[in-house]
Amino acid sequence: MKSVIYFLLGVLLILTGSCRKNYEAPVPYAFNNTPGAGHFVPSVRQSMEGVYAVSDGAGQFGGQVVLKWTYLLNGADTNHYLSIFTGTDAGYFNLEGNPKADSLVLNGYWRKLVNTSTGLVQLTVKSKHNGRLQVYDTNKLETADTLVLEGLYSNDKASPTQKLTLTYRRPLNSRPFSIMAHRSGGRTSDLLPVSENSVEMIKLASRLGATGIEIDVRYTKDGVPILYHDNALNLRLIQKNGLTGPIENYTYEQLNTLVRLVNGEKIPTLEEALETVVTNTSLSLVWLDTKYIGPMDKVQAIQQKYRQKAILNRRNLRIIIGLPTTEAVDQYKALANKDNTPILCELDTAITRSLGARIWAPRWTLGPQTQEVLAMKAEGTTVFVWTLDEPKFIQEFVSQNNFDGILSNYSSVVAYYHYSEQQ
Amino acid sequence: MYSQYIRLYTWVVCLLLISLSADAQRQRTRYSHLPRPKRVFAPEHPRYVQPDARQPAIYFPQAPLPGKTRKSIGLVFTTTPPELTEEIRVSVPAIDFNIQRGLTKRLYAIGRIQTQIVQSNVGAGLRWSSQLTDRLFIAPGIDITGWFGALAIKDVFNSQAYGVQAFPSVSVGYRFTRDVQLTVKSEAIMDLYYRSQVGNLAVTYDRRRVNGVAFTFMLEQPFYKQQHVSVGFRAAYSNFNWQLWSLYDTFDRNLFYPQFIFGFIL
Repeated sequence: MKSVIYFLLGVLLILTGSCRKNYEAPVPYAFNNTPGAGHFVPSVRQSMEGVYAVSDGAGQFGGQVVLKWTYLLNGADTNHYLSIFTGTDAGYFNLEGNPKADSLVLNGYWRKLVNTSTGLVQLTVKSKHNGRLQVYDTNKLETADTLVLEGLYSNDKASPTQKLTLTYRRPLNSRPFSIMAHRSGGRTSDLLPVSENSVEMIKLASRLGATGIEIDVRYTKDGVPILYHDNALNLRLIQKNGLTGPIENYTYEQLNTLVRLVNGEKIPTLEEALETVVTNTSLSLVWLDTKYIGPMDKVQAIQQKYRQKAILNRRNLRIIIGLPTTEAVDQYKALANKDNTPILCELDTAITRSLGARIWAPRWTLGPQTQEVLAMKAEGTTVFVWTLDEPKFIQEFVSQNNFDGILSNYSSVVAYYHYSEQQ
Repeated sequence: MYSQYIRLYTWVVCLLLISLSADAQRQRTRYSHLPRPKRVFAPEHPRYVQPDARQPAIYFPQAPLPGKTRKSIGLVFTTTPPELTEEIRVSVPAIDFNIQRGLTKRLYAIGRIQTQIVQSNVGAGLRWSSQLTDRLFIAPGIDITGWFGALAIKDVFNSQAYGVQAFPSVSVGYRFTRDVQLTVKSEAIMDLYYRSQVGNLAVTYDRRRVNGVAFTFMLEQPFYKQQHVSVGFRAAYSNFNWQLWSLYDTFDRNLFYPQFIFGFIL
């Protein structure tokens, strides 16, 4: 009898201990990454960007989506990708042109960031002329014609069989606005295919809707600025290797040799990250979040080096040092020369003004703070809000039209609400 | 996904083998010619408990006598899921006060207040208890709770939120002959209303949906002199937990919220 009780108690413990489910959302599509745009010449890409109505597929993706092209530079080659932002469950599509098809065909996948839903997508670009769908030809497009993307989608890796139809409604909202992706593109906990604060995530950020990124900077034991969010090495961020404790206890060589992020990437140095931003992406803003305690001069030197590199490459890129705490403010004040060192202050408006920061970034949980925001903007200060992930609040903050940008783990949601906002 | 089930299955099989092995070893050393001592108190024993007697309890599914009230006060420790708090583990205790009143022989009303000062949860509900056997009891019921929280911290929070949830439940209780009572309670967690405000900006969700489930395993027994305690564990597997409203969880996934519960029955 006693053994039965022990057994039942044991089963109970195991059952309760097993409640932590491992969620996964593997990408069901392998990108060809063929350089160039194929049939999607610049005029086609430009004409395709806009806000679309969803007819078939509205139950899954909502009644309206936003289409936006992005690109990635690889040396002399350029890869073009079409992103679709759904606004429902933080959903997005990543698509690439099919170079083998005769017409304008796109293949890729869709994903909802709030859960693990994903699937394949195939779309063909057509135009509706006099109520009839026909092959899209930019040269023959008449004023009354409407662009239509028609195709199929599936769930998970199944072959697409469910109908999806997107019909052009209006152009994208063109108001300047910074859509900044947290942790270089998104959180590892959102089950993205690459790890947060990695070079691979920086390359993905634009396809998730971002126009800028925030990255977390720490120092290794030997003083190398690297990208890492948490205080310590842990299985949330890295693969199991037996190493624990503060990242500042390890040299760069040790981290580079022994540690891999959860999706297998190396922990990048700040220089590697900024090199990627400058040479591979079209991102226009990098927010360096100060997670370290110590002198800021090394980070400042790297920031200035890549600012110069961006200017030489004719890139419209701002690299900004974030000051989230009074300690970080003190580190900034201790810099011998503050010239050409743009900063962003997360503390109150008085400190922001006293530092001469050109960007003020309060937490979103303080609310819209309309008076303070308008006062700072009247003084020429840019105002961002962070880290806002709640879709309904994102919609409200965007529609209030006061902030110059939003930092979010769901840049696809910010992109959807910003680009679809009626001007 | 499947590897998780295989791992669970392997653990269960190993545990079964260990349990059987331990039992077999005990059997070998036992003097089989001697009568096996009784492990229950006889009816004449001073600690014998009548099957239908009412022991001090809060979770055990037996109604208080009509017009009678029973109360408890204690603490609930909830561990935060790593998906929300990442590397930080927080287990802030909530003060937990329970009150129950018999309405009829079987029907009783319950009230519960949990508070962490800046956020609180007030619940009320009804239970209908039945005695299935000498020692086995059951009580279906439903609780409606309202939670609310407010945070005002310079440069960090100017936020408030409140919501309403429903918890239909079934409690099954077994009364051991020694005055120990075991209760297993299963609950469905249902969202009815949610309102969140930052500054002067508010959003509401009023969709009614099943948010998750919870299972409670509770022992109620004498503790010291005439004092009785409730001590147990609640495993909630849900999409939202009121204590973590200020983290603004956006995941549409059920997360595991283990809770340790301890209370003095007054």
